[in-house]
Amino acid sequence: MYILKLLSTSIKSNLQHDLAYRADLIVNLVLSLIGLGSDLFGLSIIYANTNDIGGWGPSELIILLGVWRLVNVLMNMIIWPNTFNFNMSVHDGSLDYTLLLPVNSQLLISTKRIVIWHLFDFVIAIGLIIIGLAHNTGITSPLQIVAFLGLTLSGTTIIYSLWITLISLTFWFTKFGNSIVIMSAVLDAGRYPAHVYPFWLRALMTFVVPVAVATTVPLQALRGELQWWQAIGFLGIGLIAVWLSSRAWIAGLRRYSGASS
Amino acid sequence: MFAIYRRLWQVNWAEQWQYRADLLLFLTGWLISPIIFMAVWTTVASAQGNVNGITAPEFAAYYLVLLLVTIATSDTTLNSLSYKIMGGGLSYQLVVPVHPVLTQMLVNNLASKALQMAALTPIWLILYLLFHPALAITPTNMLLALPAITMGFLLQFLANATITCLAFWTTRGGSIMSLYGTIFSFLSGQIVPLTLLPLFAQNAAAVLPFRLALYFPVQLILGTFTVEETLINLGLQLIWCLVLLVVFNLVWRAGLKRYSAVGA
Repeated sequence: MYILKLLSTSIKSNLQHDLAYRADLIVNLVLSLIGLGSDLFGLSIIYANTNDIGGWGPSELIILLGVWRLVNVLMNMIIWPNTFNFNMSVHDGSLDYTLLLPVNSQLLISTKRIVIWHLFDFVIAIGLIIIGLAHNTGITSPLQIVAFLGLTLSGTTIIYSLWITLISLTFWFTKFGNSIVIMSAVLDAGRYPAHVYPFWLRALMTFVVPVAVATTVPLQALRGELQWWQAIGFLGIGLIAVWLSSRAWIAGLRRYSGASS
Repeated sequence: MFAIYRRLWQVNWAEQWQYRADLLLFLTGWLISPIIFMAVWTTVASAQGNVNGITAPEFAAYYLVLLLVTIATSDTTLNSLSYKIMGGGLSYQLVVPVHPVLTQMLVNNLASKALQMAALTPIWLILYLLFHPALAITPTNMLLALPAITMGFLLQFLANATITCLAFWTTRGGSIMSLYGTIFSFLSGQIVPLTLLPLFAQNAAAVLPFRLALYFPVQLILGTFTVEETLINLGLQLIWCLVLLVVFNLVWRAGLKRYSAVGA
């Protein structure tokens, strides 16, 4: 209850912030549409020249694009703006004031800034997933869709947990903030199925920045390529990631000594 | 004149070395996307033999050369220009008797370029071993590629500088830049070889100058052009460079008249 209350307060204050720049909103929506057009044009070029990418058809790639865009909404709406805020607050010591509040600090630093207009990208992503699902003929049981949705959610959570872990490492290595740039570069690989990539890139996007777990794995569940125990396993990894990242955050806070005092 | 360039080079070269960690980050961001396209197309091509006549090793060769040409010809410093115009930082450079864009930023760009190429070389060699490209570089092609790459760089630099000058009139030039970037990426061959585009886009690419910036130097190095085609395209590059230089100067002068020097 109290988490929801905190979230809604944050959303309200961020909404006020964004509504102050209404003209930018139009520009940003146009930019979103340009991005969508460019992604779809890219896919259409590929399928004009081939029937499948590593065995996957157009409808599956549209769903994959939707899932990949969900991860990007998380990046642009929450991770980028709050990374910037966080790095600044460690640098100038204003993190002290955040820590003094009687609220879960991890939740506070990850929702301090929410770029509201990215909800538009969220709608686009969901739209792509729905359109792709409607055109997909390979789904035989509703369980596949349930597994797909569950794994999409848990995959996105794993990316969030990776971010929390990375910014926690800032407490040990002050210059670590740049690692988010590398993380976001690798995320780009998630827009195509992982098995088209050479081994080293697949390893990178599975074990280092697990974007394959967030994008390719849910699609594999949808295609019925995962055993039930594999699906449960990936969901379990999601939970472990959340737990580990919150431990990393707490351990990091213990090392924090403040820059202002 | 030459002394000014030399001095600026020394300053900028030293400055670039200061931020070498940022440079590596920059490179990672740039490397990933061509590698993704290379992986996707080599997979598709090896699954069905070829795509529109292009085999997997040829795709690998295309994207590997593209990677070099992209880094050699792209500009990395102009986005700071729009901030300088909007924030008033340009004032300091205007009182110096050196052109802020055509001298200072150009040299700054060249310095970062040189360091990027040095950092890219080992990575490029590893990629070469991983992807087995069908690459046969002849000395003639490399020699011809030098003016082609230089003019490809000038084309991009001048076009971007002109668009960045829109910041004199509007604070929202970013969205125009982004639309331009999207069109550029498709019609310059940055995403796929132009022959794979749908027909309407191929026709557009043939008429517009975007292909001269990347696709032409890449194909020149790959050796797919006849002597005649090469000369025609080099001539076209030269003409477009001159046209853009004139356009840029007109826009720059008109913009300076509107410049309000925020914060002064």
